[in-house]
Amino acid sequence: MAEPRPTLTLGLAQLDSRLGDVEANLQRHLDWIASARVRGVDLLVFPELSLTGYRLLHLTSRVAMPPDSAILERLAEAARPMSVLAGFVETSVRGVLYNSAILLSGDAPAHIHRKVYLPTYGIFQEERFLRPGKRLGLANLPWGQAGVLICEDLWHPELARRLAVAGARLLIVPSAGPGRIGAGDDPASHESWEILTRSTSLLDTCWVAYCNRVGWEEGSFYAGGSHIVRPGGEVLARAPFLDEHLLVEEIDLREADRLRWRLPLLADERSDIEGPEEAE
Amino acid sequence: MKAAASVLDRLTLNAPLAVQVLTGFIRDAVETSGTAGVVVGLSGGIDSSFAAALATRALGPEQVHGFLLPYRTSSPESEADARQVALHLRMPFRVIDISPMVDAYFATETDADPGRRGNKMARERMSILFDQAKRLNALVLGTSNKTEILLGYSTVFGDNASSLNPLGDLYKHQIWQLSRHLGLPEKVVSKAPSADLWPGQTDEGELGFSYALADEVLYQLFDLGLTPAEVVEQGYDERVVQRIVRLEQQFRFKRRLMLIARLSGSAINLDQEIPRD
Repeated sequence: MAEPRPTLTLGLAQLDSRLGDVEANLQRHLDWIASARVRGVDLLVFPELSLTGYRLLHLTSRVAMPPDSAILERLAEAARPMSVLAGFVETSVRGVLYNSAILLSGDAPAHIHRKVYLPTYGIFQEERFLRPGKRLGLANLPWGQAGVLICEDLWHPELARRLAVAGARLLIVPSAGPGRIGAGDDPASHESWEILTRSTSLLDTCWVAYCNRVGWEEGSFYAGGSHIVRPGGEVLARAPFLDEHLLVEEIDLREADRLRWRLPLLADERSDIEGPEEAE
Repeated sequence: MKAAASVLDRLTLNAPLAVQVLTGFIRDAVETSGTAGVVVGLSGGIDSSFAAALATRALGPEQVHGFLLPYRTSSPESEADARQVALHLRMPFRVIDISPMVDAYFATETDADPGRRGNKMARERMSILFDQAKRLNALVLGTSNKTEILLGYSTVFGDNASSLNPLGDLYKHQIWQLSRHLGLPEKVVSKAPSADLWPGQTDEGELGFSYALADEVLYQLFDLGLTPAEVVEQGYDERVVQRIVRLEQQFRFKRRLMLIARLSGSAINLDQEIPRD
């Protein structure tokens, strides 16, 4: 196998999806792919459920598709040779529905992550309509190994840890994070997200690419503020809040290795510590 | 009361960001519905003035159609304030006197008390706003704030009826803050809130407590999840807290419109929760 090229131009497509209209959303994806191509993007990331919209409720089954659907083939074809990650409702062979992200990269088999933690509290209703994923995997990209976690998955830090321990230098986090505002300069929801993405990049000594959407669904808005965090916690670049934006940055995955030599948290990681028992 | 100031402080918003989000909400609703703008009833009070100010920022003043809908006993001062707001926002407006329609009905309903009469006026205004919205291919802009929604201080299918409501998650304190930020006329911002149902009526007089107090208590009950007893421990008058708790429970039906009896197993809004967008 050829030595991976460690630097890539990463693009985060902070777009607004149209709820329940897959064809219109595919067209938007194709437009953004064209813009990204002009900017020299190697890997373009779309938000959670970017092809379908997020708050689907009983529309969920109507927009579901298998991973080999014509829609996803058109997306992969249009992107080539660019790698692209998009969100969709996946229907399995058995007819089970998942909140999935598919990473399409050249001729390699598609990497699919099924969202593991489905929020079902407050305004979230995912478990009513979807089933949780059960496994984590790594995507072998031309630039090295990456892991994908969808939105709520990042709030359970053991998942990011496992991906990093397994070899991920880059964590890609597509999101449809509802916005909240308070007195602060940034949306209050974003403040929480940046605490998470920066802590993850520090503790798991990896790059974190967080792509959040914008727009409105059912009276709730998505705040945007997509950003890329260097290994160690420094925000390299951030998209504006509320508006659509294509964020493009060159990143070097070797930065993760350099930090890991100085800060060997993953090398020191132990799985043999016992107790206490979990409380009920 | 020491706790009070800090509770209201917690409701203070980043005003430019809040306005950016709420104008985006109005723009999105108009665009996705394919309509040409909004209609809004202007009472001369702070809520409808603030809603109109948001809409003119979101859509441009020519897409925001104001309607002044006075009854013959309505305060002339309210109407003058509403005119001033419309001129200030440079938005088109019309005056439609609702007295003939309301009086025609009550000519044979001579025993109606002020409550029934006030409700009828609110629904008459709603009926006119939806008709004008149809004429103008527009949406009806709601003007109910979070405090009055939680207290049930509205006429169901009257002033609480709308196509979209940018104010529904803002406590009165926040409406005051954002209205000042948008530079609404100080007279409109600082006058005592009134539904103008009868001469000299004020909301706070009728409710029996101030909006500032209601905001503090409701925020702690509804947003923070304190029990009524825990709120009383902060030093609030127990009778007032209990009255607010009672109002919130008694009038929940007003915030869940169309309670449908489910028979089929595919009932609208229950089995089939189809998003509006």
